[in-house]
Amino acid sequence: MSVSWTPVALTPDLPPGGAVPVRAPWGELVVWRSATGRLSCFPERCPHRGMRLSHGFVRGEMISCIYHGWRYDTAGQCRKIPAHPDLEPPAAIRVHSYPVAEAGGLIWIAKTLPESAPPETGAEPLRSLVIASPASAVTEAAGVVPGVPGPVSLPDLAAPLILALQDMGEETAVHALITPADSAARIAASRALEAFRRAVEAEEIAA
Amino acid sequence: MILYDYVLSADCYAVRLLAALTGQRLETRAVDFYPGAAEKGAAFRAINPAGTLPVLVDGEVTLAEPAAILMYLATGTSFAAEGASAQEWLARSRHFAAALGGARQHDMLEVPGDIDALRAEGSLWLRILEAALFEAGEEGCGFLLGDTPTIADIAIFPHVALAPDGGVELGAWPRIRLWMRRLRALPGFIEMPGIHRLHDLKPEPGPDYGGAAA
Repeated sequence: MSVSWTPVALTPDLPPGGAVPVRAPWGELVVWRSATGRLSCFPERCPHRGMRLSHGFVRGEMISCIYHGWRYDTAGQCRKIPAHPDLEPPAAIRVHSYPVAEAGGLIWIAKTLPESAPPETGAEPLRSLVIASPASAVTEAAGVVPGVPGPVSLPDLAAPLILALQDMGEETAVHALITPADSAARIAASRALEAFRRAVEAEEIAA
Repeated sequence: MILYDYVLSADCYAVRLLAALTGQRLETRAVDFYPGAAEKGAAFRAINPAGTLPVLVDGEVTLAEPAAILMYLATGTSFAAEGASAQEWLARSRHFAAALGGARQHDMLEVPGDIDALRAEGSLWLRILEAALFEAGEEGCGFLLGDTPTIADIAIFPHVALAPDGGVELGAWPRIRLWMRRLRALPGFIEMPGIHRLHDLKPEPGPDYGGAAA
């Protein structure tokens, strides 16, 4: 599974200058977007003192750790250590950079670069939410598997939503997309998603 | 105006934040909430018999309910909000305080509580907030009651921003994250321990940073 893409967010939810924590099957990560829109994906912990990089901030094309300001470029190379302003950080001070891509209204990450690009969805981002149930339970209810966006019909909605599941262990993130619709239809879809979540979670409690 | 204050209190911070955002001056009087529990002592109960913080004193006016203090400070400013929707969020802020604030006090200040139940209740309120912010966004609004921030946002924000202190992480709440970013970007925004400013909006510290005064 590690050679395939994992959807981690809808594109509008990570604008330029943003950094979000991501739970990947192989560990905790940070995904951030530079001022010019470039996406990067690193391990969550700053190698200096282990602070979460998602608590940091993006300045231009670099992310800064909130703790001591160590600054990494989009490839993961440390470019600045504020406590030593005259030091050019050596090449050995760097963080691992994972493949990250944007397609179909979704942001995707992978542990190693997959052979093919992530899939298109032909739909527009709606919203992401987390279901407090394992992916197997969501798959059973929705009929789609993690990492492969697919149409799911929910009660009271005229058209199916496109759901992309992200396996997070005991929880599952659902990234929902919708064919172009007005705000009333999008709000109705959001409420249907909330009801879907309650139904899946209730089943989980009963099981 | 005098604010009886505890620096780590989310509700006290909401008052300081609103005062800063609306350009009002507060004279803060620190109360030894932890570990001294001075708010429960006889001296403080002469000011607020309920023994709670924050307390705002302005001449003859004494207010000790967070929502009422926010309403008082917001009067005549763009942060004022009236009507049922405003009341709904001000009342909900007490649920956020009880659940997310309760989890935080349990984890940080040794206050007893059912931590799993507090976190679960907190997550429920975060779900309600996340859905509401989505729907507001669909109507073109970046804040709970419209396209500008009001006391509804200020009443809720501190409890949400400090949720990680109580073991409730905020990674999975994209609309909440973006809403908090908008609030932290407001002119006049102030920090508290655990809620920092947006460093990316500030000028880069220069080479004489920290040494210029020496």
